[in-house]
Amino acid sequence: MTPPSVSSDPPVAAPVLTVSGAVHAYGGKPVLRGVDLVLHPGEIYALLGPNGAGKTTLIRAICGRIRPDEGVVLLKGLDPTRVAGARSGLGLVPQEIALYPNLTVVENVQTFAALADVPRAGLPAAVRRALELTRTADRAHVPIKHLSGGYKRRANIAAAIVHEPGLLILDEPTVGVDLDAREAVDAVIRGLRDLGVAVLMTTHDLDQAGALADRVGFLREGRLVLEGEPHALIAEAFGERMEVQVHLAHEVDAAGEGRLAAEGLERTSRSTVWTRLDADGYAAAAKLDKGLREAGLTPHEIRVREPSLANLFSLVADRKLAA
Amino acid sequence: MQPLWKIAAMVRVMALDLWRDRGALLMTFLLPPLVFLIFSSVFAGTTGDDIQLKLAVADMAHTPDSGRLAAALAASPEVRAERAPTAGEVRRRVKAGLADAGLVIRADPASAEKPFLIVADPARAVAAPLAQARVQQVLANALPDVTLRRTITQLEPALGGFTDEQIENADSAAALMRQTPTHDDGGFFEREAIKDARTGGGVIAYYAGAVMMLFALFSAMQGALGLMDEQSTGVADRLLAGTAGMGPVVSGKFLFLVGQGLVQALLIFATAQVVYGVAVVQHLALWLPTTLAASACAAGVALGLVSLCRTREQAQMLSTFVILVLAAIGGSMVPRFLMPPWLQAAGWLTPHAWTIEAYQAILWRDAGIGGVYKAWCVLTVVGLFGLVVAHTLARRLRR
Repeated sequence: MTPPSVSSDPPVAAPVLTVSGAVHAYGGKPVLRGVDLVLHPGEIYALLGPNGAGKTTLIRAICGRIRPDEGVVLLKGLDPTRVAGARSGLGLVPQEIALYPNLTVVENVQTFAALADVPRAGLPAAVRRALELTRTADRAHVPIKHLSGGYKRRANIAAAIVHEPGLLILDEPTVGVDLDAREAVDAVIRGLRDLGVAVLMTTHDLDQAGALADRVGFLREGRLVLEGEPHALIAEAFGERMEVQVHLAHEVDAAGEGRLAAEGLERTSRSTVWTRLDADGYAAAAKLDKGLREAGLTPHEIRVREPSLANLFSLVADRKLAA
Repeated sequence: MQPLWKIAAMVRVMALDLWRDRGALLMTFLLPPLVFLIFSSVFAGTTGDDIQLKLAVADMAHTPDSGRLAAALAASPEVRAERAPTAGEVRRRVKAGLADAGLVIRADPASAEKPFLIVADPARAVAAPLAQARVQQVLANALPDVTLRRTITQLEPALGGFTDEQIENADSAAALMRQTPTHDDGGFFEREAIKDARTGGGVIAYYAGAVMMLFALFSAMQGALGLMDEQSTGVADRLLAGTAGMGPVVSGKFLFLVGQGLVQALLIFATAQVVYGVAVVQHLALWLPTTLAASACAAGVALGLVSLCRTREQAQMLSTFVILVLAAIGGSMVPRFLMPPWLQAAGWLTPHAWTIEAYQAILWRDAGIGGVYKAWCVLTVVGLFGLVVAHTLARRLRR
């Protein structure tokens, strides 16, 4: 008789979300072209991609708002478009502050708890828990309209987690908030992850995604072209190369642009900031500084840093990186 | 009873939202009784007996009796008579709107000719017959002897003349009438009010109903616009991603708006009872279902209409248009009995007409259920239809 095999790996929990071969089109125009995505409890997944890449459509499909033309979307094994109960384990934090501004934080959370089928007997405890997890208990009785941006964002999350969902979807959770508020929101998201909540977030804040997400996925033209752990993806894409960023004091003319391009620099979204990847890092920066000064293009500042998700995002968006 | 619990949560949201917006709260519950007082004062005046016509009077006859008539008109509380030096000045004042109508006394009032000329602006068509009636009233009350002598003058050719004795008797009677007027207009008509004035006028009951429906619909539209806010702020997205959907939101809004309409009606009719003596409390058993049906109708229509719109701007434009048109046709602005017949018939397509009719039936005509059940049914069915439309369209939001 063979003894049962014993694995040293921890058991993998069943996925909270499974998207398999999702295809969808609006008016004949394909928006999703075979997306696969699996999310497990206690995992933060950042969905990245330019506008029109299909992020919103994918989120709508996960929320049961649309049924993909092909493929399946399952929440804990159930189809959210067919089984309303499948959505009971889902919490959505919209990009806007989806709360009633004249109501206090606690009144808003109570309302959404009632609407999310939280039993009446357990409602006070559920509300208290949501406020504590989002660190909004000290503003519980302040109307939403009187809160700062950071508190509003966290109250927005509190209303989505009061029913203890297994999957939390955040749509641009830190858009328009300052750095302190963003860090507070990030801390809340990490706290939820540590409690076993699977978090799926869309964001344009690539620094936030890089710092927060366990996995990121790049969606481009309806396809998930790149997916993995942020640091591994960056290392794989850039190896030992460093990013050398040249900040100019003023915009340059066509001749100056030609000279910068000849040095292998590319203009970023800001016309005075040019960048290139170089394995030599600091040594390359010194040479570049000398060369540019000789050409009359004295840099205001040269930065050398490890490549980030922003660099990777640029490569993916500009199709310079194969899927 | 989880669905009811969810609906109650949304009713609470609406109530707290209104409570915290003190400006909106005051406007929601103070404006209706205030507007009712204004409307009822305005229209009770224009449709009642106490219209004081502004009359420009020019005495071109310059006889003792014409002078008496001009003086009597100036002294009469029925009109506000102002003397004008010439007929041209009378016309100028009427044309300029300085007087509602004009009277030119062209000859002695007792003469057989047509001694009076009424000058009126066609834009104020009602002013001419009203001025004529007021002058006749003053003639009959203050100058009965002149009326008698005019009658004798008119009869004389037909009878082939009077004897001296008859003329003497007539002069004596005229002199006696001049000393002690009988205040008899000598006309064919006597008037009987169909109801004791102490119980409040029919016009008051009319306008209580008219303003109730006007504000119920107006406030319901404002409340229903919240559906647009819930879509734009992402509340709808949040709810549609869960198990609740938008159903409890729509139902909660409906119940709240019905309650809001009920409170508004309570304030309007309490004002009507206290200020004008309209017997509301005495008819409470029928007033309450009428009010509930009217409020449900307003809430349902508002939610249905707002649900048809894609943006708040669309909803605001549509609601303003619908509120104004329904109020105008339905009789919330101008009494329906002053409208042409086709417009009165079209009024039955509005909830206002049914509401006004039901309240008048109850409060003015002392009607029983038989007189109002049809209005209850129409209002309730229309309201529920609007609610069903709102629910159906809310479900389509999921897509």
